[in-house]
Amino acid sequence: MTYCYRCNMSFADDTPRCPGCGAETQPLPPTYMEHSNAISEGRGNALQGRGMPVRGKAERKEVVRVRGLYKKYSKKADWAVTNVTFSCREGEIVGLLGHNGAGKSTTLKCLEGMLPYEKGEIVIDGHDIKREPLAAKASMGFVTDNHAVFIKMTGMQYINFMADVYKVPTELRVKRLKALEQVFQLGDAINNLVSSYSHGMRQKVCMMGSLIHHPKLWILDEPMTGLDPRTMKAVQDFMHKYAAAGNTIIFSSHALNTVAKLCDRVVLIRKGQQINDINVKRIFALNPNFDFEEYFLKNERQD
Amino acid sequence: MRDKIDFSLVGALLRKQRQERRYVFSKGHFDVLGFLLQIALIATFAAFFVVFFGRFIDIYLTIKTHSLPDAPQRLYELLTIAYMLIIVFMTVSGMTAITREMFLADDLKLFSAMPVGAKTLFVAKLISIYRSQFVYSFVALLAVNLTAAIATGQGAWFYCMTVLMIFLLPVITIAFASILALPFYAIRRFLQSRFVLMFIVVTLLTAGAFVLYSFVLGAVKDLLLGDDIRYFFNEGVMNGIRTACQYFFPANWIASFVLKHELVWSITGIVLVTAACAVVAMLIIRSILTRVLQARISGDENFMYPEQDVTPLGSSFTALLRKEFVQIFRTPSYMFSYFSIAVLMPLMVYFCIDVGSSLVKTLVGVNVDLELALFLTLLFSALTNVFCATNISREGPMFYSVKALPVSCERVFLSKIFFCMIVSIISQVISAVVLGATGYVSWGVAAFIFAIGTVFSFAQICFATRYDFNHARFSSEEDGEIKESGSTVSTIIVLGMLFAFLIGGVVLIARILLALRLDEAASFGYLTYIIVSVITVVVAVLSFVYLIANIKKKYYEFSGGGLM
Repeated sequence: MTYCYRCNMSFADDTPRCPGCGAETQPLPPTYMEHSNAISEGRGNALQGRGMPVRGKAERKEVVRVRGLYKKYSKKADWAVTNVTFSCREGEIVGLLGHNGAGKSTTLKCLEGMLPYEKGEIVIDGHDIKREPLAAKASMGFVTDNHAVFIKMTGMQYINFMADVYKVPTELRVKRLKALEQVFQLGDAINNLVSSYSHGMRQKVCMMGSLIHHPKLWILDEPMTGLDPRTMKAVQDFMHKYAAAGNTIIFSSHALNTVAKLCDRVVLIRKGQQINDINVKRIFALNPNFDFEEYFLKNERQD
Repeated sequence: MRDKIDFSLVGALLRKQRQERRYVFSKGHFDVLGFLLQIALIATFAAFFVVFFGRFIDIYLTIKTHSLPDAPQRLYELLTIAYMLIIVFMTVSGMTAITREMFLADDLKLFSAMPVGAKTLFVAKLISIYRSQFVYSFVALLAVNLTAAIATGQGAWFYCMTVLMIFLLPVITIAFASILALPFYAIRRFLQSRFVLMFIVVTLLTAGAFVLYSFVLGAVKDLLLGDDIRYFFNEGVMNGIRTACQYFFPANWIASFVLKHELVWSITGIVLVTAACAVVAMLIIRSILTRVLQARISGDENFMYPEQDVTPLGSSFTALLRKEFVQIFRTPSYMFSYFSIAVLMPLMVYFCIDVGSSLVKTLVGVNVDLELALFLTLLFSALTNVFCATNISREGPMFYSVKALPVSCERVFLSKIFFCMIVSIISQVISAVVLGATGYVSWGVAAFIFAIGTVFSFAQICFATRYDFNHARFSSEEDGEIKESGSTVSTIIVLGMLFAFLIGGVVLIARILLALRLDEAASFGYLTYIIVSVITVVVAVLSFVYLIANIKKKYYEFSGGGLM
């Protein structure tokens, strides 16, 4: 396996030149930690935040740190996630990519504090999710893959519930709700029971609830599924703006185009194992014709 | 292509239903305790019914009109009324069966997109509805007719025609039910989003059922005490019954038929009614099916709530409490088990003490109102508090969402316990006030009963919440509503009743025995207070310890419930 340290990309078929930047590739270090160290030593790319003032890596605070994450659902079960390691800084949009059952949702659920994990470390905004769960959770907002909302509440009741839990002052929640309404356009339906909502509307109210406290870290599991094209576009624009304001977004998706368009970096997961952490923005900047889909499928086929 | 009935497909559809029903009996899902409890309850009810109905038949047949006994006429009246009640009951059960099969079943949406003909689907649905009605017909007619046959020495005709009627009665009742099914569903849909109205309607209906129950209980007491029940059935009442029976169609025809009276008239009536009912049932159910398939009349009504605004900042605890209330109040089955039952619990205590007190005084000659009130309060508290057995499971996937919120586990559990306690305390207060106001116990004793009932409820709620957490099985239903809760509910019922007997039952029996053996039983009254207080407090402390033991660690490590 070869690796391009400019683009942070690995190539299963020992490609001598990077299809992204055209640079010569090098043999990949045997472990992922060594690989990460190589990046942090400056051989990899420096992060380019969207709309953020161009600052050095050291100036951009690390919001998420995941190190050597291992998770299994029962003692007898196989590992659902093995040695996943990545970090995200302020202003970054990071995509988790992988096939069905690869371990994306499990990783996100561990990050959100929904699921316990066997080994590893998850630090959110400087707080370890195991040791300081409340502080860690206070700085994140999340949208689950099943868009779980209290369906017997009205949309407004749900948003008020979330605002109370995250202790959002009244004036702020009014202001934020107005801003969120412009993006998600739920209209009068916000006064209806969530149980009467369509799939897309539930997703919208779920996103609004997760943003009412303006979290530093926004985690979304399959956020674009079920959204109409207009809302999808609005959500993508919003994600750009939200990250530009210095917040971090992590999301999982199957939509390669969305990922390629939205993300600064992509973490590829296959069978619970992290296989790559690549800087898509840089690759596209260097090679606008880069075929991300082909790259993804090639990685998926390696066994 | 013509829409023909495909019987192999009908078989496949019925097989699918059978397999779905069998799922509850599969390994890991079968609630042995609940199943045994159900069997025991049915057996007790059947035994109770057979004994008292048999005794009632004996008394009723000897009632004279115009100073003359007329046993055949009395039996005819009795059976007519019994069949009428069965028809009413089966019509209601038929309406729920049609609603379940036609409006609420998810499979219709699926089948409408599959190459399954409407006629095939119609036959499968009709068989399924008939099957559920047949079970009721079998149990009810067999219980009534066997008791009547044994009590009055009926011949082979009666037994044979009973079997025939078991098969025919479902057809008749399905027709009645199908006529009422659409209005019933329309009312259901109307109430679906009007929660306060639904609460009032459901509570009033249940209260009505309890009043009826108290009436039956009173009659049973009269039978037990040997009071002459015949005084109730005077000439006026008997004339009324006779006239009513003339209009109770088709129950009176069925009674005449099985008793071999006016055979031509009754057979003609039954044949015509059954044929008409079969046609009506088929036509209406088919039209409902067509409507459902075409218009997909399912899902929530598009009900607009008044415009709401952002609320001022409140604590997360208040938000969790509000969430508990909204989730429960807006889910009909939970609303019933939490609020309606809690409101009606004092009524049950009152009815039972009304009967029990005079019964014990007459049979044993002892005044044990305090012990009886305690026992009944604990027993009905145990049954009422069963709602907390799904405190965790009913959250469904939202349990994980709450877990990901910045709210401590103590706060999450406390909000649940606190909410259940509010409901329980309201129920206990009303119960104590009713007991005090009706004079069965003094106000001081009523306050003591309230305190014991509250502590007992606290114990049960703590235990049930932790037990449910340890054995959580989340529903995959969209709203997390529990359709099949495993053994948690039955365990909480059994344990609750066991402790109610252990605390209340023991002092009641001890007091009666003491009173029978010693003349100065009254001086041992303080024992009741001591025993009950000590045991209840100990049970409450143990339950609380069980609730909090290692809870924080378990909560953060929780990944159960079968959804992840």
